[in-house]
Amino acid sequence: MKLKYASLIFLSILLFSITSCKKELVKINKNPNAAQIAQPNYLLTAATKSAVDEYWAITRSTNPSSLFVQQWAMIQYTDPDRYIFTNNDFQEFWTVEYSSIVNLNEIINLADAQQNTNYKGVALVLRSWAFSLLTDAFGDIPYSQSIQIDKYLTPAYDHQKDVYEGILNDLKNAQAALDPNGKAIAGDIIYNNNISLWKKFANALRLRIALRISDREPEISKQVLADIQNEGGSFISNNSEIAQLLYLNSPNQNPISNYFDTRDDYRISKTIVDKLIQLHDPRLPIYANKTADPTPQQYVGLPNGLLVGDASNYGFSKTSKPGTYFSNPHAPAVIISYAEVLFDRAEAAARGFTNENAENLYNQAILASLGQYNISDADANTYVNLPDVQYDATNFKKSIGDQKWIALFGQGLEAYAEWRRLDYPQLQPAVAGVLNGQIPLRFIYPGTEQSLNGKSYQQAVADQGPDVLTTRLWFDVK
Amino acid sequence: MFRNFIVLFKNFKVITGFIFILLSLSATAQTFSVNGTVISKKTGQPLTAVTVTDKGNKQSAITDENGNFKLDLPGKSVLVFSSVGYKSQEINVSPNTTSIKVSLEEEEDVLNEVVVTALGISKEKKSLGYAVQELKSKDISEAKETNLVNELAGKIAGVNVTNSQGDMGSSRIIIRGETSIDGNNQPLFVVDGVPVDNSQLLGTGGSRDFANAISDINSEDIESISVLKGPNAAALYGSRAAAGVILIKTKSGKNKKGLGITLNSNTTFSNLLILPAYQNSFGQGSNGNFSFVDGKGGGINDGVDESWGPALDGRLIPQFNSKGVPVPFVAHPNNVRDFFNTGYTLNNGVAIAGSDEKYDFRFSYNNQKQTGVIPNSEQGKNSFLLNTSYHITPKLTLHAIANYIRDDAGNLPGAGGKRSTSTMLQFTWFGRQVDISQLKNYLDADGNTFNWNNSYYSNPYFVAYENTVGQRRDRIIGSVELNYKIGKNLVANLRSGNDYYTDRRKLKIAYGTSGTPYGSYEEDAYTLSENNTEATLDFNKKINRDFSIDVLAGGNIRSNSYEENDQMAPKLAVSGVYTLSNSRDPLISSNYFSNLKTYSLFSSAQIGYRNYAFLNLTARNDWSSTLPAENLSYFYPSINGSLILTQALDIKSDFLSYAKVRGGWSKVGKAADAYQLINTYNFTAPFGSNPQQSAASKDLNPNLKPETTTSAEAGAEVGLFNGALHLDLSVYNTNSIDQILSVDVSPSTGYTKKLINGGKINNKGFEAQAGIKAFKASKFSWDVNLNYSQNHSEVLELDKEGRLQSYVLGSDRTVQVLAAVDQPYGTLFGNAYLRNASGQIIVKADGTPAINPAKQYLGKFTPDWLGGINNSFTYKGINLSFLVDARIGGSIYSNTNRTGTYTGTLATTMPGRDAAHGGLAYYYPDNKTSLPAVQLSNGATAGPGGETVYHDGNIFPGVTEDGKPNTTILPAQQYYKGFTNVDEQFVYDASFVKLREVKLSYTLPSEWIKNIGFQSATVSLVGRNLWIIYKKVPNIDPETAFNTGNAQGLEDLTLPTVRNIGFNINLKF
Repeated sequence: MKLKYASLIFLSILLFSITSCKKELVKINKNPNAAQIAQPNYLLTAATKSAVDEYWAITRSTNPSSLFVQQWAMIQYTDPDRYIFTNNDFQEFWTVEYSSIVNLNEIINLADAQQNTNYKGVALVLRSWAFSLLTDAFGDIPYSQSIQIDKYLTPAYDHQKDVYEGILNDLKNAQAALDPNGKAIAGDIIYNNNISLWKKFANALRLRIALRISDREPEISKQVLADIQNEGGSFISNNSEIAQLLYLNSPNQNPISNYFDTRDDYRISKTIVDKLIQLHDPRLPIYANKTADPTPQQYVGLPNGLLVGDASNYGFSKTSKPGTYFSNPHAPAVIISYAEVLFDRAEAAARGFTNENAENLYNQAILASLGQYNISDADANTYVNLPDVQYDATNFKKSIGDQKWIALFGQGLEAYAEWRRLDYPQLQPAVAGVLNGQIPLRFIYPGTEQSLNGKSYQQAVADQGPDVLTTRLWFDVK
Repeated sequence: MFRNFIVLFKNFKVITGFIFILLSLSATAQTFSVNGTVISKKTGQPLTAVTVTDKGNKQSAITDENGNFKLDLPGKSVLVFSSVGYKSQEINVSPNTTSIKVSLEEEEDVLNEVVVTALGISKEKKSLGYAVQELKSKDISEAKETNLVNELAGKIAGVNVTNSQGDMGSSRIIIRGETSIDGNNQPLFVVDGVPVDNSQLLGTGGSRDFANAISDINSEDIESISVLKGPNAAALYGSRAAAGVILIKTKSGKNKKGLGITLNSNTTFSNLLILPAYQNSFGQGSNGNFSFVDGKGGGINDGVDESWGPALDGRLIPQFNSKGVPVPFVAHPNNVRDFFNTGYTLNNGVAIAGSDEKYDFRFSYNNQKQTGVIPNSEQGKNSFLLNTSYHITPKLTLHAIANYIRDDAGNLPGAGGKRSTSTMLQFTWFGRQVDISQLKNYLDADGNTFNWNNSYYSNPYFVAYENTVGQRRDRIIGSVELNYKIGKNLVANLRSGNDYYTDRRKLKIAYGTSGTPYGSYEEDAYTLSENNTEATLDFNKKINRDFSIDVLAGGNIRSNSYEENDQMAPKLAVSGVYTLSNSRDPLISSNYFSNLKTYSLFSSAQIGYRNYAFLNLTARNDWSSTLPAENLSYFYPSINGSLILTQALDIKSDFLSYAKVRGGWSKVGKAADAYQLINTYNFTAPFGSNPQQSAASKDLNPNLKPETTTSAEAGAEVGLFNGALHLDLSVYNTNSIDQILSVDVSPSTGYTKKLINGGKINNKGFEAQAGIKAFKASKFSWDVNLNYSQNHSEVLELDKEGRLQSYVLGSDRTVQVLAAVDQPYGTLFGNAYLRNASGQIIVKADGTPAINPAKQYLGKFTPDWLGGINNSFTYKGINLSFLVDARIGGSIYSNTNRTGTYTGTLATTMPGRDAAHGGLAYYYPDNKTSLPAVQLSNGATAGPGGETVYHDGNIFPGVTEDGKPNTTILPAQQYYKGFTNVDEQFVYDASFVKLREVKLSYTLPSEWIKNIGFQSATVSLVGRNLWIIYKKVPNIDPETAFNTGNAQGLEDLTLPTVRNIGFNINLKF
């Protein structure tokens, strides 16, 4: 009997200590490493930086886009320049842009809770931009079911048309939410918390997207422009209002600068160098460096898509690197330039969506681009008046396409989207391209979509066409 | 509060039930006329459970734990003493005999072997309803490895060990397949009752294959290793039992009369077991051209680090070490091999042990010093172990163990594919003409580094000597135990054990390293501490002559804390000074802290019937801090039994000397990691003056439940031919459900991972072990030990809704390792050739094969079966044994083969590279290489327009989209590169058979050494990993651990494995 009591006492002690410790156990599991609550200003900085870093990341977005539109070329490991990609190569771009959107959505939630409509407006603008990057590149993407993990674990893909329309709607709401007299925001590393500029940025994006779909849905495009006008809205109106991220010292340096510190894979494309030389374009010394070894031409571009040996036979020191302007640690990552807005307004006028003067805006756009790189007014005026530069009203797509392509140097993703839409400049495929004489017309979906979102992916492929680089996207009318 | 109590009490009614029932089973005493004691002839220790039968009237008794028995006898009788594993003995007794002492002699085959089971409790093997296998000191310590885990390879059925890459890395051990889709599948290691950590802390950088932490244990100190295979054997460990438990018992001074000193010295040399086979016909360059100016594109293809250059025929070409002067372009066939050294390991130890009635102790010191095969790699270990017991009173014993280990590595070898530190990355791209002896002094006269290629690499010796990772780990494993014999049958035990270590690493990248021009310096510090405090009460009684019981109840408190602190100067301000303040950029800092706690109550009961039938029950409840309040308590039971058929049915035959059947069922749970319930927002370094905060990429789960694994097991053990053949067979079926999975989800959900309770995986398998006494004469014997196991896994479900079809365990390039529904665990999934309906590979218009846009299953990494055979020959004092170990089936993706194909350095890229190797002749119209090549008949000397003829043409075997045979001719360089993105091409059968271990030892006859004061002296010659007898994958050792995680089956520029040969001297005096 004694033993029985001993055991009982022993057990009771254990039982008692455990019950009293249950609360302690829950307390132990409180994570000391991170915060359970977010702050909208901190989220805004992080979301902006990650989205822009990725937009400017050399191997993930520049590689495809700046090579495809022949602004850059590769002198070694030329596979990307020959259009050889695996579906892994687009994974990061996809993942990071979506994860930036998560943070932007969280800002919108917090903004609603704090009744700060300016945070909401800013987040909607950035979110629209991030979604537009994705759909420009891939076509159909998860949109209406995206970023709602509790409801949709395998989000369906939306048609590209619906994505653009959704974005336009969001931007309209953003415009309404943004109020310079409303509550202040913080953490804005694009416009330093200036809400008036965000309103201009929002309209500039609406203009860009209205034109993106203008070959397909001209009525919507027109309506968007009419809306902006009715709202009394304005656009980015000088080079100091460019929507861009100015980078800082390491570790917050420009991603391209970071890359160029350690690798030497890129040269400026022969296509654009030859064009700049032909036009005596004063931006040439900005866009390209002189060859390391002196050469008669000083600036030598490299043909796109050479075989490895052929590429390096051109000589690393006998070809021009992309300009130091772009590999500076503080170099800006431009989201929308004043020049682009002017080109867009010129095109809207040319298409008859507005009553503005297309030629005048076109000339202003070129001047704005030259101004962006601090070209003297005298040189700029000479350039605008060159016969090869002058606006051709009979083929606005050619005039605007060629000059926009030059102005968008470095902004690979936008240059690539506009080249596909305007079909100018007319480019020859990479020398040793592997697409049977075609230039890629889109990115391929990241491989994980096949394994993780298979059914939705297959539906998207069935709707849009094969998941290959050469499938034409909806906005891109031949 | 009160309700909690009720719930708790409900959970415990099983345990308390046992105790009430068993305590009330007290039996009344009987009267006797003869009593006696039975002892073992060999050990002199009393023998329990010996059956004593009166031959005349069939009355019998069974000896108690002190070997005593009493028997009522009518008169003069013959008593038969029998016990499994002992020779029976007959003794005549007469009425005036009152007390007898009998000593039984062990049978040759010790079938009543005692093994260590869960919680360190010794049990007779026959009483167990599950498989347990033990290794003894000499099985592990003679042929030493620096990583203890490696010594288990091939020796135990069902245990799958994947050896280190190189000679200093980690090793992975899996018992009976992977039962957790995402969790840790390696067994729990318990040393002298103290759970010890076996993490592989890979940290943030360094690309080193840091050794897993159990390698700290010195194999010289181990008395036995007991392997509890899976939940059935390990159920008492609860949460941590699903993957099995490895119990290590260290040597003690018990039963050592007087003072004994043991000296052990082991010297091992290592060299490469395998290295890729390189081609020696073409040197660095591209399209057949090369000329060196600056190694980064200044010359002709001198920035290209591939070997598609000119033929190595002695033509004169400026090279990296010729200062612009053309010198003969010739192969240096051993330029990779010559980089590696002969490694050596010195292991010296001394142990002092002694005991008297009150006190026993053993103290050992061991020093290990290893110099690796890679220049400048070295590590060392000092280990001190004190194991003591003190009998405070006859009933109260204090037991204390302290093991202090210091690992000190000056530099660990660089593994993986990081340019600044990797060894094999550079060598897979190494120009075949490079004379490595010219690189050895890596600074030129001006103090600058130089290399054969300056686009991507630093001089390999510079990397080895300047870009180092040092590691120091200080570790204390200790326990204090109080053991009190409350009564004759009741023992209380209280133990508190601690495993504590700090692991500090210094990662240096030197100024001027290619890709990291300013260098960097990082310091990482880890602190891990785990305490387990455990109290148990053990009641053990022979109730009557038929029944015996052994009941145990106890509780455990486990506290674990982990801390990590990483600091990095990303760019050094000045060269050569490695401090954190020598930085031109802000420091990159991060830290992480975690704490968890588990309370447990457990109980086990064994009921024995007549010493041939046993029933074992266990029950355990855990309360884990890592689960939400409503789910943090979970209960799991187990039951198993065994029956000795030969005794139960009284079979006595020379053919069948022993037969046992066993079976059991168990359930174990598994908690989560810390902080998996509530989503948080992480901070990253500020952008200017703006702090940054962002949502974590994993969506956590506030409703998490524990994982549950249930396992059923059955087995049989038979002794045949008078014990000459011993066979042990097991089958098992394990189901794991509600797995805590951090599933990959489409990033379009906003997260890349989501934590769910889902996932169902089944493992079933079969194991066989055989011990064969193949030959025995007075001086010569031959013993064979065989083991065989197969495990088949199938992932049944990932989430309840069936939306998830695959789970990514890991990836390398485009190959993923998946747990995919309806597939075995660990399938390789990647790019495959595009084939037409009849299975022919489709070739694109450019002559390269098309890739199927849908990824395909390319294999699985888990093997089909494992086997080991050890032959041991003994003649007088000489023992020769060799162990052959096989792992058959399973696949591996080899990035060494893939990269070496891309770079043209491997011998496998020779076919078709010149006319002599079957290359086809072709020309380019008008010598324009941008135009498609046109085939010529072999032997042609010029094209139709006088064009240059090339002889390295290849046509990929396949068909064009319209089904016609492909005729597009490609130069070898384009041909080989054309399929390097087809993962299928580089997935190989990972089967191998290895000569794992050979030992030749000689124990000096005692008459020789007694006079000089030795008790024993043994010298041995040992060899490990001597020969890969069979394998299918070219250029690499298929047994290669990427790391110890679940993403196996991927080989990525791993270090070559090594062969060890050495000798061992063991002296006792």
